[in-house]
Amino acid sequence: MKSLETDVIVIGGGATGSGVLRDAAMRGYRAILVERVDLGQGTTGRFHGLLHSGGRYVVTDPRSATECAQETAILSKIAADAVEQTGGLFVTTPADDPEYADKFAAACLATDVPVQEIAVAEALRREPRLNPKISRAFAVNDGSVDAWKLIWGNVHSAMEYGAQVLTYHWVTQVLRDGDRVCGVVCRDDVHGGEVRIDADFVINAGGVWAGQIADMAGCPDVQVVPGRGVMIAMNHRLVNTVVNRCDPPGDGDIIVPIHTVCVIGTTDTKVDSPDDLPIPRDEVQQMLDAGEVLVPGFRQSRALHAWAGARPLVKDTRVAADDTRHMSRGMAAFDHLERDGVRGFLTISGGKATTFRLMAQVVVDQMCEQRGDTRPCRTGDEVMPTAREGRNYTVGHRLADREGDRLDDPLICECELVTRSMIEEHLTETPTASFDDIRRQMRLGMGPCQGGFCSMRATGIGHEIGALDAARANDRLRLFLTNRWIGLHTILHGDQVHQTVLDKWIFDGTLDVEHLPQAQEAGQ
Amino acid sequence: MNDEMRASLDHCVKCTVCEAHCPVAAVTPLFPGPKYVGPQGERFRESGTSVDISLDYCSGCGICTHVCPQDVKIAEINAQARHEMKSRKGISVRDRLISRPMVTGRLSAPVAPIANAVLRNGLARRALSATLRIHRKAPLPASARMTLRRWLRGRTQAPAKRGTIVYFHGCAANFYEVETGRMTIEVLEHLGYRVLTPKQGCCGLPLQSNGLFDDARQHVHSLVSALDGAGHGLPIVASSTSCGLMLKREAHEILGMEDATLASVGARTFDICEFLLDLHDHGELPLDLAPIEMTIPYHAPCQLRGHGIGTPAVELMKLIPGVTVVESNAACCGVAGTYGLKREKYDIAMAVGAPLFNMVRDMHPPLAVCDSETCRWQIATATGVETVHPIALIHRAYGLS
Amino acid sequence: MSDVVVVGAGLAGLTAAIRLARAGRAVTLLSAGVGGLQLSQGTVDLLGYTPDRVHHPLDAIDRTADADHAHPYHHLRADGVRHAVEWFAEVLGPGELVGSLQTNVHLPTAVGALRPTALMPPSMAAGDLRDGANVAIIGLRRLKDLYPDLIADNLSRTDLPSGGRVNARGVHVDFVVRDGESDSSGLVTARALDDSSTLLRFADAMARELTDDDHVVGVPAVLGLVDTQTVWSTLQTRLGRPVFEIPLPPPSVPGIRMNASLTAHAKAAGVRFVMGGRVVGATREGTRITGLQTDTAGRLRLTRSPWIVFAPGGFESGAIDVDSYGAIREPVFDLPLAHVPSDPVVSADYWADHPLFRTGVAVDHSMRPVDPTGAAVLDNLVVAGGLIAGATRWREKSGEGIAIATAVRAADTIIEDGS
Repeated sequence: MKSLETDVIVIGGGATGSGVLRDAAMRGYRAILVERVDLGQGTTGRFHGLLHSGGRYVVTDPRSATECAQETAILSKIAADAVEQTGGLFVTTPADDPEYADKFAAACLATDVPVQEIAVAEALRREPRLNPKISRAFAVNDGSVDAWKLIWGNVHSAMEYGAQVLTYHWVTQVLRDGDRVCGVVCRDDVHGGEVRIDADFVINAGGVWAGQIADMAGCPDVQVVPGRGVMIAMNHRLVNTVVNRCDPPGDGDIIVPIHTVCVIGTTDTKVDSPDDLPIPRDEVQQMLDAGEVLVPGFRQSRALHAWAGARPLVKDTRVAADDTRHMSRGMAAFDHLERDGVRGFLTISGGKATTFRLMAQVVVDQMCEQRGDTRPCRTGDEVMPTAREGRNYTVGHRLADREGDRLDDPLICECELVTRSMIEEHLTETPTASFDDIRRQMRLGMGPCQGGFCSMRATGIGHEIGALDAARANDRLRLFLTNRWIGLHTILHGDQVHQTVLDKWIFDGTLDVEHLPQAQEAGQ
Repeated sequence: MNDEMRASLDHCVKCTVCEAHCPVAAVTPLFPGPKYVGPQGERFRESGTSVDISLDYCSGCGICTHVCPQDVKIAEINAQARHEMKSRKGISVRDRLISRPMVTGRLSAPVAPIANAVLRNGLARRALSATLRIHRKAPLPASARMTLRRWLRGRTQAPAKRGTIVYFHGCAANFYEVETGRMTIEVLEHLGYRVLTPKQGCCGLPLQSNGLFDDARQHVHSLVSALDGAGHGLPIVASSTSCGLMLKREAHEILGMEDATLASVGARTFDICEFLLDLHDHGELPLDLAPIEMTIPYHAPCQLRGHGIGTPAVELMKLIPGVTVVESNAACCGVAGTYGLKREKYDIAMAVGAPLFNMVRDMHPPLAVCDSETCRWQIATATGVETVHPIALIHRAYGLS
Repeated sequence: MSDVVVVGAGLAGLTAAIRLARAGRAVTLLSAGVGGLQLSQGTVDLLGYTPDRVHHPLDAIDRTADADHAHPYHHLRADGVRHAVEWFAEVLGPGELVGSLQTNVHLPTAVGALRPTALMPPSMAAGDLRDGANVAIIGLRRLKDLYPDLIADNLSRTDLPSGGRVNARGVHVDFVVRDGESDSSGLVTARALDDSSTLLRFADAMARELTDDDHVVGVPAVLGLVDTQTVWSTLQTRLGRPVFEIPLPPPSVPGIRMNASLTAHAKAAGVRFVMGGRVVGATREGTRITGLQTDTAGRLRLTRSPWIVFAPGGFESGAIDVDSYGAIREPVFDLPLAHVPSDPVVSADYWADHPLFRTGVAVDHSMRPVDPTGAAVLDNLVVAGGLIAGATRWREKSGEGIAIATAVRAADTIIEDGS
């Protein structure tokens, strides 16, 4: 068994885990992050991409609202490249309670969430596709954020401070030495074999899986209930501003423009397992109906892809609900020394992507306290290495980039403007990357054709540069097609049917991918 | 942007049909192709933001929209994006000037011999090239000494036996190709129609294709009032296929005009050959056509294809005994209105048109036929073959010339 | 007025139009845009998998016709298919189409699978590989749709349907098609190769990379757009060994060639093409369609005709529409649909045979659309091609066979009607 040694192990490669890694590394701890699959493959990579102004919570959860407003301002600076400052609108549609708007405006003031009521005509000028029957409109500082970029921003920053990241390392054991957690054992799912990591401290940032990890550490009853939310990406930006229903939080109350698409979200259904997240057709219909309320004609627009994420909803039966020292609203930090008598082990879960940095700060503060160190958090002051150009994301940037290199660098994914050298560089650096890993990095196959034209090219390139042998290349291709289908089959209608069948003509009709030699049944 | 056009990008399945048929992308890698700058690029454009300057290499010929099997309004998306780009970057004096055929026509008609001599003068053309970046070999039309409207003033109409129609002659037939206008009127009168020719201005198409949308809309507005004012509900016949298309489609789809008069005028506008072939399809076109022994190369211009009516000129000319029509099957002559006049686009335009020019030259024909004026000038300039509107053959076959 | 209006410019529409025009009918062909044929790989597939690999397609067609009465081949059987496809092959001629209806060949695809087909352009025929052959697969550095090493590795690992294996190797050639362009599509390359000096430069660039051990050479299907016969035979002569083309995803040059060729045949036969208006509706009198409404510039145009061949394609062209509530319909005539799946319309497994894709219009032996009782619903409309229910064409590799045979049968219904 391979073995490593460090100060802190962070379990979980979502926004929170990567934020904890960065925070710990910046405070001078040697840190290793372990993630069972790829970074951002869990809840963080499965939300609609909203960077909350706080507006959504001003009435129901004022403290979260204020936190969101503060964190959004910080992230727009430190992770500028991941954030698009789209602005947001809260609009009162005919389906909304007209009384809520005044409550909303007052609550924004009370929670320091910047807001400005604007004329309906002005809202419609900014967003011409909005329902013309809206009666009130409030401008807020919502934005959209590429959660994967956020994670890599954290990770790159942490690595500059000496941290390490081990993806596809599945924690099979949390090691105990008496009342102290002293490390983990992971299964390396890429290279095979096991890895033992010894550490003084383990921070459990397992999100919706945090309860399972706490169990492994002998800290039972951390109950994290997965709340499944369904989202649908539409083919293009029907709105360029985040648009919210001005109504108490509910299903399908928001459309978020992010990258080239806009996302309608979301539902909220308690489910048994975070690893089994179906996309029920009735929830898809519910989202399409909800879209229609905000943008008439939404149903006639092209739905590209649906997915489900699992929110971590934390219940701790051992702590009183009013114990706010442990239960900051929306986030849950468990001090297992106090709770279970176990040293060197902390759990952070709940919360939302917008407040990941604050969550990291809270849990690393707790670690410092337990260790008796005084090392202040600096994550809000220092810009991430990926954001040093200081420019926020704009949707046109790739088109501008390709204007410069179009004639020198073949375009492989034409929908999302991914070039050959982007793929080559990534595969050279990470030969084990699946096409879904590449997708998360650079949006390969996330456009209208859903991989119809680019995935064969990516397969050929991966094989050509020696990253994959033919058998693995075939399997990668088949796996990618299999995985894209998960988000396609439940929303398949209209234009996307034409696309799917053209893609079938290409893959089956022209390429006969189905009969590639020794193709194995894909499935991971 | 006309949201209906933008929304059509949702229909794109990336099938490459538009790319395969784009005449500009076929001859230069400088243009990334209609799919790239159209439904693909549009997903990356926030309203009012075009960052891809290569979009300007689109000639606006419209073939992409025509061939698209999924109803994506590719050319319209591109035209609107180009407009937005230009309104931010500014529009050159040259583009402003070549967008105004009425101004240039009116200025030069009284002094047509002088103006034409200047156009033929190499030195003067070099000066135009240097100052205005209009290519010195580009096909600029010669001005007629007498405009169509002046010709109309001096004549009396035959009595109507069949009904009344409105003739939309456009700038070309008024200032440059008066013959086409005259022959269109004479053929229609020969068929028994009373032909009204209300005072009319430019349709705004050159303004539109050079990105001057506001000015173009004003022109459309005046024009449709004039045509509608001549007699509400009357059919309107156009001999300029591109200007007719402006009324039928482009003013709405590219300029985004939602005007009831425009919609009514557009629904009543017919290309002259479309109008005549419809008569024939209803058995109402007299077939007393005198033979013309001639093998004629015919080019269906891009703008005609935009009408979605096929190639009525071919069917009509086939009705004339002795005429053999050879279709060019070429994509485009290259000029695309004013695109091929521009110094920086001239070589591309000539390369686009090369297969057509070769085909015409190789036939050594007495005449070539094409429905669109700027294409006729381009073909004639490039090949030296006289190129006429199909109405010229009908006119002759009816014994009118 | 035309005798027949054909709706659709794909393989089925073009085939029906040529058949009718050659029989003396005045034909107008209406299409929304260019047909799907130019996206195809340029072969004529009759039946490739049932789901096992098919070696003798006509035999397999009769077996399918017997076993599956809902399959389009049920109405055609091997005889109907042979009759139609032999005629079709004559239209194109042996310079454009070779092969046998009796026996499939198995041609390498652009990922290195062996794909069964019946007829192919002569430039693809040498792809029918034999045991022990040394195959060089040539990739062009600037062409992103063919990766020669992947094809070669997959081919070398494949048992040939005729037995044995080949030794394949990938060869890379950096051929500059247009200066200043690193990304030249197959179409751009093919256009360039129609020029003889470019072709010789291309041949020389390839010859430099080959050794005496290479028996046969596979190249991307870019060997000329207009005069493939010359380009291909020149290349074979220069390289001194058989050369075969491997079709690419769209823009597919062999598909474009076949589309151009059939369009030219149709025009020569007098077919009037009206492209650029989608047929959106119809006028009817009882069970007769009296006119078709097309959405053209400025207005709806009505085209009258005694007969209609309806060949608008399938799901890929929107000829069958699935709306956001999952309702499936044929939007122009609201023809009755067969094989309409209950929810869910597609399986959650990508590799499954999805019920939705068998949905379509059921027809009788004359290709008239029928209702669930089997009764024809319209008198003067026949259906051809992808709209017809009962087959997942891309999977079983039957697309061209069904298109051609149903188009010929549909045309013959009209020709035999005589009125």
